[in-house]
Amino acid sequence: MDILKCPEVLLNSLENGHFVVDDNFVVTYWNRWLSVNTQITSKDIIGKSLEEFYPNINYKILRRKIKTAIRLNSPTFYDSNNDSAFLPIRRNKVTKTSLKLMKQQITISPYIIPENKVMISVYDISELFETKLSLQTEVNKVNLLNKILEDDKDIIDKNIMIMKTTTDGKISDVSTLFCNFFEYDKEYLIGKNASILKSGNLPDSTYKELWNTISNKKHWSGEVENLTSSGEGKWVESRITPILDDKDNLIGFNAVYHDITNKKLLEQLYITDPLTQIYNRGYFDDLLSSIRKHQRKADIDFVILIADIDHFKSINDTYGHQVGDTVLKEIAKVLKDTLRDNDIVARWGGEEFVMMLKNVDIDKAQAIAEKLRVKIEQTEIDNNINVTSSFGLTKYYVGENTNLTFKRADDALYEAKKSGRNRVVTKL
Amino acid sequence: MNSINFNEDQIDALKEFMNISLGEATSHVAELLDAFGTMHIPKISVRDTSELKEIVSESVEASLNYYVMKQLFAGKFGGECIFIVSEQSANNLGTHLYETDNPDKDDINDAVMELTNIVTSSIIGRLTEELDVQVQFFAPVSSFVKSFDIADDDEMAQYSKVIVVSTELEFKDHNISASIFILTKDEAINSLKELIDKKIEELYS
Repeated sequence: MDILKCPEVLLNSLENGHFVVDDNFVVTYWNRWLSVNTQITSKDIIGKSLEEFYPNINYKILRRKIKTAIRLNSPTFYDSNNDSAFLPIRRNKVTKTSLKLMKQQITISPYIIPENKVMISVYDISELFETKLSLQTEVNKVNLLNKILEDDKDIIDKNIMIMKTTTDGKISDVSTLFCNFFEYDKEYLIGKNASILKSGNLPDSTYKELWNTISNKKHWSGEVENLTSSGEGKWVESRITPILDDKDNLIGFNAVYHDITNKKLLEQLYITDPLTQIYNRGYFDDLLSSIRKHQRKADIDFVILIADIDHFKSINDTYGHQVGDTVLKEIAKVLKDTLRDNDIVARWGGEEFVMMLKNVDIDKAQAIAEKLRVKIEQTEIDNNINVTSSFGLTKYYVGENTNLTFKRADDALYEAKKSGRNRVVTKL
Repeated sequence: MNSINFNEDQIDALKEFMNISLGEATSHVAELLDAFGTMHIPKISVRDTSELKEIVSESVEASLNYYVMKQLFAGKFGGECIFIVSEQSANNLGTHLYETDNPDKDDINDAVMELTNIVTSSIIGRLTEELDVQVQFFAPVSSFVKSFDIADDDEMAQYSKVIVVSTELEFKDHNISASIFILTKDEAINSLKELIDKKIEELYS
């Protein structure tokens, strides 16, 4: 084993300050690092009291620490968080720094115990301290951001309807507002398929289009009717966004909903005849305008049918307007119930109804009209009232002005009335 | 792998060593800090690290702030000493050691550090002397925290078991009290068991 022959050389080569003092603070050793950093040479300080050079040190405390180190034969320390430096040394750092004086860690180690001498070691921990400070600043920023995020999350949870699902449609998370709006417990919904909310009032084609879009990692937006836990239908505007991982793999879906119940209610009121609860004339006019304007292939194959209740005035005169209203309601119901779901029935005004039969030829349309006529004739209203009705029908020719189509149907109705009522007349 | 638990003989021996160490620590504090205090008989247990927060919380009041000093010691028996002093006790200690009615933050921190250092060095120094192993002490690190931040679960996650030696230090004349936890972990626990067995063998051979 090598014996250390030149301890002074070793101490002078260290990148820390080391000096030896006794319990009267007389310095007996002062290493090169200290000479360089304090500008006090070992020649100047050795043999003299530390108090001459550093009068601001609390020597009562230092004496106690020296005594402790010697008594315990174990090092004692100064707190490195202390604001005042043990040996004030200016830092030479030119670039940005938050420390003008060197931050130090001071360790007092027993050296020659019988002579009450200790070695005081000075470690420069400025860089470490600065890193700690900047880390703390960053941590404070992150904490603040986290708090803002938490607050935002809470606001979002309570004010926005959100549902997250897995790729196979199982619900993985829902916001509080979503649960409140659809009257479900969160625990109940988690793990269930999102189809639990489907009202069934939308065509399957809508759901197919939705699923195809989002499965291809694209957004889908649209209006859907969902059911609450008690079965009540609620209209929502829905925006479904695919959730992708770092490698662009689909890992789920995020749906945000907006309540449009009132909007839908207003829309419904705007297009519904208040008495018969079928479409009103305005809706039918808009529909014809739209067909005329867009000429979409799916919309242009149809037949227009106009129905008029025969001698309706005499019903009003005989039974009163209240019964007249009942007759109108019953006839509207017969028309609605007899036609297919995708046919349109509207009240044109007074005792007149207008219908659009889609994708039928004129013969088939005539048969349907005849069926309607018979059903109306056979319907007993208020136990003792039977009415008859006249029908005029015509076909829409691609590209023609719908006013002309309508006029032909109206002429056909006029013919039906003129030729004795309770019949169907076609005009091509 | 050895069992992590101590047998009865080992616990008895460890308690005995700790009693000697605490006695010496009390005497050193009296001599060096001019404060005559008492230390309670230590409680020694091997616990899951997850329990530490709960153990520490039993010795503090939830509504108070505390000065916490953590001092590491290294060697065959290495670990960490946690010294917990309430704000009021720390103020009283600063008043006593700095001989001022209004000690500032630095005075208080330094006073707590001195007390920690004396107590830790005495206890661990004496314990390791009994076990005939060397130990090195590192500078204590101080913090001033709310009671629930004293033992952070995240810090402990890397260890499975800890030996908890807990005691209380009271200086009734100065109205100062502190809780001390000596923690060692995993491999140090086995080293300690080996050292204790060796010492028991020496004593009874």
